[in-house]
Amino acid sequence: MAPARGALSPTFPDASPAERALADRFMAGTVDGRRGRAFEAFARTGLPHRRLEGWRWTDFRAALATLAPVTATGHGQALPVADGAVTLRFSGEEIFLPDSLPDGLILHTKADAPALAGAEEAPMAALAAALAGRGTGPDTVILEVCGRVAEPVHIVCEGGGAEVNFARIAVIVRPGGALDLVESHLGGAGLSSVLIEIDVAASGQLRRTLSQRGDAHEAQAITALVHLDEGASYIQTALAFGARVARIETRLVHRGTGSAAVLNGVYLCAGGQHVDFTSHVRHGAPACTTRQVTKGAVLKGGRGVFQGKFLVPRDIGQHTDADMQHQALLLEQGAEVFAKPELEIYADDVECAHGNTSGALDPDMLFYLRQRGIPLTEARAMLTQAFIAEALAAAGGGTHEALSAAASRFLSGVSL
Amino acid sequence: MGGSGFLQGFAMDSRVKDGIDQETVAAARALESENYRAGFSTDIETEYAPKGLDESTVRFISAKKDEPDWLLDWRLKAYQRWLTMTEPDWAMVEYDPINYQDIYFYAAPKAGAKYESLDDVPREILETYEKLGIPLREAEVLLGVEGAAETAAAAREPRRIAVDAVFDSVSVATTFRAELEKAGVIFMSISEAVHQHPDLIKAYLGSVVPQSDNYFATLNSAVFSDGTFVYIPPGVRCPMELSTYFRMNAENTGQFERTLIIADKGAYVSYLEGCTAPMRDENQLHAAVVELVALDDAEIKYSTVQNWWPGDETGKGGIYNFVTKRGDCRGPRSKISWTQVETGSAVTWKYPSCILRGDDSVGEFYSIAVTNGRQMADTGTKMIHLGKRTRSRIISKGISAGRSDNTYRGLVSINGKAAQARNFTQCDSLLIGGDCGAHTVPYVENRRADAQLEHEATTTKLSEDQLFYVRQRGLGEEDAVALLVNGFVREVLQELPMEFAVEAQSLLKVSLEGSVG
Amino acid sequence: MLKLTDLTASVGEAGEARTILNGLSLEVPAGEVHAIMGPNGAGKSTLSYVLTGKAGYEVSGGSAWLDGHDLLALDPEERAALGLFLSFQYPLEVPGVPVMTFVRAAMNAQRKARGEAEISAPDFIKMARDIGKELNLSADMLKRPLNVGFSGGEKKRLEIFQMRMLEPRFAILDETDSGLDIDALRIVAEGVNALRSPERGMLVITHYQRLLDYIVPDKVHVLSHGRVILTGGPELALRLEKEGYDGIEGAAA
Repeated sequence: MAPARGALSPTFPDASPAERALADRFMAGTVDGRRGRAFEAFARTGLPHRRLEGWRWTDFRAALATLAPVTATGHGQALPVADGAVTLRFSGEEIFLPDSLPDGLILHTKADAPALAGAEEAPMAALAAALAGRGTGPDTVILEVCGRVAEPVHIVCEGGGAEVNFARIAVIVRPGGALDLVESHLGGAGLSSVLIEIDVAASGQLRRTLSQRGDAHEAQAITALVHLDEGASYIQTALAFGARVARIETRLVHRGTGSAAVLNGVYLCAGGQHVDFTSHVRHGAPACTTRQVTKGAVLKGGRGVFQGKFLVPRDIGQHTDADMQHQALLLEQGAEVFAKPELEIYADDVECAHGNTSGALDPDMLFYLRQRGIPLTEARAMLTQAFIAEALAAAGGGTHEALSAAASRFLSGVSL
Repeated sequence: MGGSGFLQGFAMDSRVKDGIDQETVAAARALESENYRAGFSTDIETEYAPKGLDESTVRFISAKKDEPDWLLDWRLKAYQRWLTMTEPDWAMVEYDPINYQDIYFYAAPKAGAKYESLDDVPREILETYEKLGIPLREAEVLLGVEGAAETAAAAREPRRIAVDAVFDSVSVATTFRAELEKAGVIFMSISEAVHQHPDLIKAYLGSVVPQSDNYFATLNSAVFSDGTFVYIPPGVRCPMELSTYFRMNAENTGQFERTLIIADKGAYVSYLEGCTAPMRDENQLHAAVVELVALDDAEIKYSTVQNWWPGDETGKGGIYNFVTKRGDCRGPRSKISWTQVETGSAVTWKYPSCILRGDDSVGEFYSIAVTNGRQMADTGTKMIHLGKRTRSRIISKGISAGRSDNTYRGLVSINGKAAQARNFTQCDSLLIGGDCGAHTVPYVENRRADAQLEHEATTTKLSEDQLFYVRQRGLGEEDAVALLVNGFVREVLQELPMEFAVEAQSLLKVSLEGSVG
Repeated sequence: MLKLTDLTASVGEAGEARTILNGLSLEVPAGEVHAIMGPNGAGKSTLSYVLTGKAGYEVSGGSAWLDGHDLLALDPEERAALGLFLSFQYPLEVPGVPVMTFVRAAMNAQRKARGEAEISAPDFIKMARDIGKELNLSADMLKRPLNVGFSGGEKKRLEIFQMRMLEPRFAILDETDSGLDIDALRIVAEGVNALRSPERGMLVITHYQRLLDYIVPDKVHVLSHGRVILTGGPELALRLEKEGYDGIEGAAA
């Protein structure tokens, strides 16, 4: 099934210079069957673009004409994580792994890539699967969580100015295991794509907290594929500042009865920055719950995108309880917010809801604060901070304060 | 690729005209159990265009109507364009491919479009009306028999409706014309208007839904058979509700209706549309186009009750309803309001939309869409905010039963110049039984910091507790369902003209028969 | 202290603007409390918004000076830093911003604008606790988001709490009595009276005489159609109560 080199071209017509460069990178390494299938899945669409329904507002192909190194090696500091955290660092083609591990945590590295199910639905994840780890590091890094791990695991992705930075990490939480996973995505590459595959077994718990930064020369994709077994719990909190295009995508499947997911996110976009939060949640087992709160604030020339979907299949999706909220502030004229909160429901005994708002801060509220003597800029920052707070409240690994502070720095640096 | 076509320019809308008085559809629907009483076929001679579609079909239709050259050219241009287009595939509906060469694109009652007196109307047509419950006691008035209008109009209480009856593709009767003329209102078939008011037609036809808008609208532009034309002059409040009663009849006849309503400055009109269709085995294609234009301070209220043949229990037969409906709030402070009750058709694609171009203009969309059996409906609206302080409101209530799929698909788009635009959207779905689907696909694009957009949606099932409560008080199961469903859709029913609301309630009940238990 | 001369203002978009204040003149010297009374639509609330600088009110003529500062040239927060405080008729709910955080931010912003040092956290907390106790506001309530989930009476008490904390030079109380029962009214009035001092002025806007039993004004002005038609002592409020606005307006015409 591995595509011969020549067979690739028919599936990859009209390739852009960046896409050709990606194909060359792929061809330059060993081509095994699984990588081949992953790259083929990517090549079916190429870099995703606006003519694909799921990418209408986030066009990687247009944003990334060529693959080129960037001047920034990374943006800002990695999140300060609670003491004793274990750090894994993915930098360009190098991977740095910890020397010692806390109890309950096992680290596996593999020289070949596992198969990627559903690659067709996530082209950037497929690209990461095809190209991750082909430099000096292992192809795949697997974290196995066999108990309640007291210390957080911190994944840092920082390109160091390279053309590309690909990473693929699997986290397997065994029954009853628990882990705090923290990720700092610091950009520093022309194109970054990180694939995180998460499997939480019965009664397992995973709390994932991530922060993303980048600049107007970078394209970043962070894709998580999550499966939850019976009674498993998954709590995700993301804070994103965007890049030329930045997509934080979560595709989650409730696979066992009564699993619970929280998917929260905050995007703060300055001019020229673009954040896309996309999620697809399949309620593939009875009586599962999903709670999703996404908040955004966008300045002139910035763009925030939210696409959420709950899919509730017939029969197995009964007693689903799912709620999706997206609320955005356009802080200045020239900001853009696009949203598509979607429900696709085939089971009747369910409670599903979504809400979507976008607009300005309430002028009466602003006046109230100013009447008490708080200057306009500060009043705006204060109200915006309060507005987003709810979506950061579930952050783990001791990062909550750092995330709030990062948001606060962004908001108070904004002179409107 | 899901809905990517949905946002490309404007998309489909399925639609039909009608507008009967209440008792009509209610009566038509008071069927013996599952039987669809409107599903009978009238046996009259029909004049067909040859089956299939090529340039000569277009010329045939145009010649039949004795159209001026400019309109023939317009049609031919659309036809050429259509040849280059492909059928859209993004809606959540599935149907067998349509063979456009197996469709009659034109059929007219042989007796012609005009009747001087009731005696000239073919007996079968009158009987058809009678079966559907159209108040034929007023037939003379309806058909414009001289001297009858004033008396009958005066006798009719409390509100009056002017009916432009369309039998298959050609207008056969127009009502209340004299009184409307007094007010300066033009209400006639669009083919008549082509001859009598060519300037208005030239100025407005295709100005809201361009020829090249989408596959089905372009097809319609090439082959539209007939439809309604309404013009309300400046400052005139149309003295009665206008209504077209529309009905498909001839076997295998695609219906390509074209409606154009213009409310000039400060004018007001309420237009009602309703329809039934005969039962038959082969799928029928309906691709109508409705264009509304509201100039400064004008208001158009457009209400629809649609209950076309949805096919049998296995999903066989039934109407394909692919319609483009769009209103243009062209002048400042204008308002266009769409209200629809959709219970029929096998497949529905329909997105009655508003372009809010004039400053302070208002667009509204109130919808009830019921699907049962094997029906598939993909319907919603687009509110395009271009002008300052434009406001829109969307209330959509979807009810799915049986093995049907019911999708709300909507777009709210705030242009960069639409200062202080506002939208409120409420989108609720109700599931009855575990074999149906309810889907919500809203797109919200905001490019203004001072805009305020709110969208809420819920999906729930009919509450067993409520159902039990109502039944404990003595209501039968179906009455109980009807009662609760009427509660669920009340906000939309309130927007319908009163007789229509009554009719819609009984329609909902009939549509949901057999969905519980 | 506060001097308004021929103040004229309208509300609404150009073209549809309605004139609400129509040549209003008024002077409140330091140390005095004046009441403004008038029927609905007389322009009472508009006056409070025009003085504090709310957007949407267009001043087309006249002037408003506080302690020699031209109020109309300043942003709302600059007016607040001069010591101008408005107790809102309908205090807004501000989710996510706790009362204490908010008041402290306001206090420090005002101090900073005046070139003063920030208040220390212990001093602030002690002050808040003491004043909260007087106004029957528990420490727990002061941790909750501003006005969110507070009853009408609690919101009014919270307005007075903020006034006591911020110690303004000049306070405008806009219908502070509306929606209060008699006990709450007394608590609020005591809070206001505690701030009366020779350096401080107040403008008490009310529809009813009732509040003035508790906050006894030095002068009462009757506002009608955007201007002061009658000025008198506290007895004028009683006369209004008896004769109604129609009677007074008729007499003044």
